[in-house]
Amino acid sequence: MPLVFLVLVVPILLGGGHLVSRVLRESFANSDARRAARTLNFTLLKDQLDEETGVRGFTSIADPEFLDPYAAARRDFPGKVSQLRGRLSLLAIPGAEALLDDAAGVNGQWLAQVAAPLLADPHTPEARVVQFRGKALIDRFRRDSERLDSALVAREQGDNRRLQSAIDNVSTLVFVAVSFVVLLAAVAAGAQSRLTARLEAARRRAEAEARANLELRTAFETEKRIADTLQDAFAQRPLPVVPTLVFSAAYIPATDETRVGGDWYDAVELGKGRVLFSLGDVEGHGIEAAVNMSRARQALISAALIDADPAAVLRRVNGYLQSAGRMATAVAGYADAVSYEFVYATAGHPPPLLLLPGRRPALLDCGGLPLGVLEDCVYRTRRVQAVPGAVLVLYTDGAVEHSRDVLEGEALLVQAARRALENNVTDLAASIRTEIFGGRQVGDDVAILTIGFAPGETTRMTFASNNAQGTVISGARGVGPVPSSGSLGAAA
Amino acid sequence: MSDATTLTVVKMDGELDIGRRAEIRHALAVEGNPSGVLVDFGDVTYADSSAISELLRFRNDLNRRGLPVALLIKSPQFKRLLEYAGVNEAFAVFDERGAALTYLGNAAS
Repeated sequence: MPLVFLVLVVPILLGGGHLVSRVLRESFANSDARRAARTLNFTLLKDQLDEETGVRGFTSIADPEFLDPYAAARRDFPGKVSQLRGRLSLLAIPGAEALLDDAAGVNGQWLAQVAAPLLADPHTPEARVVQFRGKALIDRFRRDSERLDSALVAREQGDNRRLQSAIDNVSTLVFVAVSFVVLLAAVAAGAQSRLTARLEAARRRAEAEARANLELRTAFETEKRIADTLQDAFAQRPLPVVPTLVFSAAYIPATDETRVGGDWYDAVELGKGRVLFSLGDVEGHGIEAAVNMSRARQALISAALIDADPAAVLRRVNGYLQSAGRMATAVAGYADAVSYEFVYATAGHPPPLLLLPGRRPALLDCGGLPLGVLEDCVYRTRRVQAVPGAVLVLYTDGAVEHSRDVLEGEALLVQAARRALENNVTDLAASIRTEIFGGRQVGDDVAILTIGFAPGETTRMTFASNNAQGTVISGARGVGPVPSSGSLGAAA
Repeated sequence: MSDATTLTVVKMDGELDIGRRAEIRHALAVEGNPSGVLVDFGDVTYADSSAISELLRFRNDLNRRGLPVALLIKSPQFKRLLEYAGVNEAFAVFDERGAALTYLGNAAS
């Protein structure tokens, strides 16, 4: 834009300035010539008159002293005529040179026909006639001179008008040009600014869209990465390989979109033949539930490393979740490969299912408030004597609450476990899942973890099985109606 | 403090799940200073974990206020669910209204 302005305005201003200066220069030159011409014209008239006066004086008085002005005028006259001619030719005023020629001619005539006879004989009898002729010639000279002066004055006025008009024209031109350029510049600037604004708006929109897209993509990728990471961490956490213990696990997310839910299971070797197990369910679904689930399960493992007692472990985790404002249910404990015991505690969680070779599956005791709801909850550790081939089945509520009839759900689970045992399957958890759900869509997440003592160690089996029976029966609850427990209420 | 003649009854029925959480919370918001609260869940057949956590928080609130609560349960499925959650350890649970009222009457006096 500034370039356009320069390209348009600078030549106009330079051109206009040049024109004005030329007109002014011409005008000054003409003015000098005019002034000089007028002076010369006036001087010539004066010379002519001096000549005439001198001759007349000489004629009357006959004193040669009267002839001094005449002589001086006569001497200077031709040079002045030539100077005036030069000025007039410079000024080029039509008819002016002719007037000068006429005046010069008149002067010549006057000198020849008037001055010469009178100077020759001041008292000539024709003096009177000569005087009259002289007067006529002088009048003619005076007329010529006056006309020339008028022409010069007219020329001066014309020149002034021309100068004025030139200045006016140049001013107008410059004004118009500048206005035009300014208008053009304004229009262009307006267009430019509108274009700039549009471009800027378009750029901002594009940026905002790009940013929004990036945010969306980032958010999506982040969520997906978190989901995948959690899912992978969940799915890939390896079950321990311990002599005499056999594990299986299954996890069914609620839907494909929310692959990660709040359910978890863990089995971690603690050493000395003990394997920690935990399984639970954090309220909700999706990433938030998954994150809380991850915290809860880690808190549980951490607590288990500090405390060997499952009830104490749950108590610690309850405190942690309560301060975080998260609710969860869990069952946690350990399988002891040395003592052939399952030791566990539950917090608001469905009962573990115990499978003993040759016996009906039995749901064990449960109870204890869910984690993270109330402060200072007390949980109860329960011990179950196992035998080789004994399996503890842990599951989340989705496995028994899918029809919202929990008793029916328990019956189905027990049946599924029995079938799986009868079929002597290798992956018990997967088999139970299939028995319960088949190919059905699952409303809630479901996690199943089984911990079993390897069958076939005859000496131990004999030893342990004798020991086990009583403990198991006393700790287990059969499937069926639950006795009313109205009197337990005063707990607080 | 308590007015021996007034007893607040909270009654709900059907299946209590997360979709009814606000309703449950509203129903369990007992105001004033009654002699006791009877939570009549006799017609409730199911409660999910969110409903149970509301119930437990409610119990905690009334405990702090020193108000006796009786929980009336009839559906065996529901009773079993409360057993999972240890609610039967936290509440006085009854399967018969008369017994529940007697308990509240004794607690108030």
